[in-house]
Amino acid sequence: MRRWLGPILFGLIVAAAAAWAAILYIPYGLMNVAMERLGQGGTNSMSHGNLATPERQPVVRPSPDLAYSSCPYDLSKGPVAIDVTPVPGRYSSLSLFDAATDVIFVRNDVEAGGKPYRIIVAREGQAVPAGVETVRTNHDRGIALIRLLLKDPSEISALDTVRHQSSCRTVINPK
Amino acid sequence: MKSWHRYAITLVGGLAVGLGAAWALTASGLGDGGIRNGPWTTSLSYGTKTTDPLTRAMVARSGLLALPAKETVYWMAKSDASGAPLDGDCRYSLSGTPLDARWWSVTVYDDKGYLVDNPGRIWSVNGANVALDAKGEWRVTISPDRPAGGAWLPGIERQRFQLTLRMYNPGKTFRADPARAALPRIVKEGC
Repeated sequence: MRRWLGPILFGLIVAAAAAWAAILYIPYGLMNVAMERLGQGGTNSMSHGNLATPERQPVVRPSPDLAYSSCPYDLSKGPVAIDVTPVPGRYSSLSLFDAATDVIFVRNDVEAGGKPYRIIVAREGQAVPAGVETVRTNHDRGIALIRLLLKDPSEISALDTVRHQSSCRTVINPK
Repeated sequence: MKSWHRYAITLVGGLAVGLGAAWALTASGLGDGGIRNGPWTTSLSYGTKTTDPLTRAMVARSGLLALPAKETVYWMAKSDASGAPLDGDCRYSLSGTPLDARWWSVTVYDDKGYLVDNPGRIWSVNGANVALDAKGEWRVTISPDRPAGGAWLPGIERQRFQLTLRMYNPGKTFRADPARAALPRIVKEGC
């Protein structure tokens, strides 16, 4: 039995290390999955999803009352510009989540004064256009998500045009 | 048995136990997130940068891409007012006064947090589509079949289900003391 003492101790250390490593990894792994599911239009472009239904649930606990537009981004080729056009008189928000799932930016329609706005997402040290509000992050990858509340699911087609005014793209040649 | 055999066995066992423990530890979702209010529980740690790695992993599993509390408070209920688990074959009365928020909604999910199909193609009620009675209260019936009268929120037949209450831009009074805020009541009426 004594010959198992060392191996069991070793096994316990392995268990603790594996648990800790997995806990650290889980957010990144799930974020990768979400980026792939939401990023069917590729990265650095805004896709305007249909409403969540049992047949279409890209993430856990999707809200059937929200029209989600999403842009999985990758800053490795340069900063990304996000343009958001709120819809008058109803809740909408832009939120940015980094690769570790942390929220790095949130702004709703009231905070935006109901007016369209542009945000640049950039890594520390990346050159950005002058005079545009910039959010700095220490991860290349993440997701920009726009939520727009619907009073009724049937409203979605009427809101299509205004939804498509929100966009996401790599900033080329920032000066 | 050689010594390295024993180490190989405990290495594999240790990995399995460790990974299993990580999955189990992060599975409780936000049910244990801290703030209780009747059958409703919430955590204000969604979407914050200061959360510890364990909380972050739990949030990633149960509410990826969730907003911080200033923007939206997410309440979860897995049981009724008497503490019994929510059963998709039973009929519940969900009622309350308009919530202290710019907008609110209650959504039915299965116990893993996903929407399940139902004949009404209805998964939620919200502040804009509930009617207030003379006392200023709204009332919705959660049941597998459409009730004879009033608003219907379909339950999930032959399954346990859970409710998520979202409060967008909750008011100052609410945020000062979420544990005592008036939240919807979930009362079982029959099975």
